[in-house]
Amino acid sequence: MEKKIVSVGYGDVKPIKIGDRLPLVYVGGPCAIESKDHAFKMAEMIGDICRRVGIEYIYKSCYDKDCRSSPTSFHGCGIDDGLQILSDIRKEFGVPVVSDFSDPAWAAATGEVCDLVQVPAYLCRQTSILKAAAKTGKPILLKKGQFMSPWNMKNSVRKLEAADCHQIILADRGTFFGYNMLVNDMTCFPIMAYTGYPVCFDASHSIQLPTSMGNISGGQREFIPHLVRSAVANGINVLFMETHDNPLKALSDANTVLDIKYLENILSQAKRVHEVRLELLEKYGEDNVHPQK
Amino acid sequence: MLVKEVMLPFGKFPVIGRTVILKEALEEMNKHSLGIVCVVDEEQTLLGIFTDGDIRRQLLSIQKPFSAFFIDDALDHSTKTPLTAQISDKVHDVIKTMGERKIWDLPVLNESRKLVGLLHLHPVVEALFNEKL
Repeated sequence: MEKKIVSVGYGDVKPIKIGDRLPLVYVGGPCAIESKDHAFKMAEMIGDICRRVGIEYIYKSCYDKDCRSSPTSFHGCGIDDGLQILSDIRKEFGVPVVSDFSDPAWAAATGEVCDLVQVPAYLCRQTSILKAAAKTGKPILLKKGQFMSPWNMKNSVRKLEAADCHQIILADRGTFFGYNMLVNDMTCFPIMAYTGYPVCFDASHSIQLPTSMGNISGGQREFIPHLVRSAVANGINVLFMETHDNPLKALSDANTVLDIKYLENILSQAKRVHEVRLELLEKYGEDNVHPQK
Repeated sequence: MLVKEVMLPFGKFPVIGRTVILKEALEEMNKHSLGIVCVVDEEQTLLGIFTDGDIRRQLLSIQKPFSAFFIDDALDHSTKTPLTAQISDKVHDVIKTMGERKIWDLPVLNESRKLVGLLHLHPVVEALFNEKL
């Protein structure tokens, strides 16, 4: 199995290399773009923290949250305004940006601006979405559906590859455990990494309790640091964690987004765990337990 | 009698590409009613073989769910350096080796080491029987 390196960043934004034995990369920001001022404020705060921690980051925020539970929930600022704000953030902060898209018709515009294009978990096996994502020519952050086994993600990977996309990051955001509950199966990382592509842990959505509060989702963010340490030690290449300066007022995923006051602590631990893992790999070599012997 | 005279030609036995999953490999074997599938690259170079015997052994040892097993690339479970025959080999010599190794099917390679056929015991027995008559 050939281990692939994914490069995120184009134009004036310096590419970030993601893959085996490379530094851990952070993807984060508010779940949805709330306003230009807020997006700029968040990008500045996250950038400052990441510089202090010494970790490279990709700014994440979505322009249209099409999977909200309620028709009255905030849907997003829309594709035109949202992509303009993301484009402005790239220029102002020199940081790569990522947003998802939920309609094949939105893919081209998303790919024109974003350095990394995200395929939402609920849509991870939709052929039209995957074809449209591949056609952007940008690296793809492919989230594992909560209903999908990690090994079946290979089908989605093969769909992207068939459309000539070979820059893929596979992300786990938890797996349904009965109704309104998710669990993280840590074996999903080595299983998905066997595709050769880098793997990502989405900490904020993993602690989500989907639609547990009637018409919105709940979440147990107190478990974020625990799961982050586990996932990083398990060999992820990318840590995805949404963050907000005022979670109670967040317009999307208010029950799961991490208060930014905790971000530096968690990122510092994640970076150190990742470094220790690389040191252990250097000292003891790759895991080599045979499945049958 | 030479191997090339009795082998099954390309197209008459199961052959798959390197990224074909195990479930599709089994379907290909069923389609041809043969207990072997050959895995090749784009230039028809033989990368490995997967047989009924491999399936038996894997079923008794692999502990993961069937759904995970089925989606593995067949190549991952294949014998990467199988015994092969050359088109110009004498059938009598090859049959002796197959008997010793308890093999029913043998991939056949040409001078450029490309897969060109499969030596399957039934047509061989029939040819040898006709030869005796």
